[in-house]
Amino acid sequence: MSRFLLAIAIALMLNALVCLYRVVRGPTAQDRLIGVNIINTSVLVVLLLSFFVADRPTMYLDIALVYALLNFIVTVALSRFLETGRKPLG
Amino acid sequence: MADVVTGLLTATLCLMGVVFFLGGTVGLLRLPDLYSRLHPVTKGDTLGATTIILGLCFQSGFNPDTLKLFAIIAFLLLSSATCGHAIGRSAFVRKVRPWQTPAAAPRVEKREGESRGLEEA
Repeated sequence: MSRFLLAIAIALMLNALVCLYRVVRGPTAQDRLIGVNIINTSVLVVLLLSFFVADRPTMYLDIALVYALLNFIVTVALSRFLETGRKPLG
Repeated sequence: MADVVTGLLTATLCLMGVVFFLGGTVGLLRLPDLYSRLHPVTKGDTLGATTIILGLCFQSGFNPDTLKLFAIIAFLLLSSATCGHAIGRSAFVRKVRPWQTPAAAPRVEKREGESRGLEEA
């Protein structure tokens, strides 16, 4: 089973690599933000898969939770910055 | 017996999730403008990640780790839709133009008000 989960993780990472195309040549900054968002979600899922592959150290789940929170904060803060053109709370 | 059933459930849900992720990527690469790209990406992303994590819940069994996995699913369902809306709103406020078919597009050759998402509107 862990071999299968590893294969799923590799497939997701290849998928994220293809998404990098849109990050490199998106016409608008928001296009790049979408690409980064989908890569972040793939990384979150790969972290959870590697939790099962690496014989379940509990640390991985906490890292994944914090990664999900950071992903949300980064996307909202950046799109807010692109919308108003100034720092949040600044 | 129960082992085989949970293994099959996990495998099916993980493969479904990969297919959803793939759909999101195809939409991201092939669709013509930002607003139409936002649609497959946010939805395919959320559904794919949720499906894979649900499959991993079957693998984890009945223990506190599963609770954390469910917490991640709940947060993902909340945050992904919010992110999509924030990105779309920032593009709309910055006057990024929606894509039109060549027949419906206005006959102006050089569009002056075109924004690349960063400049002053």
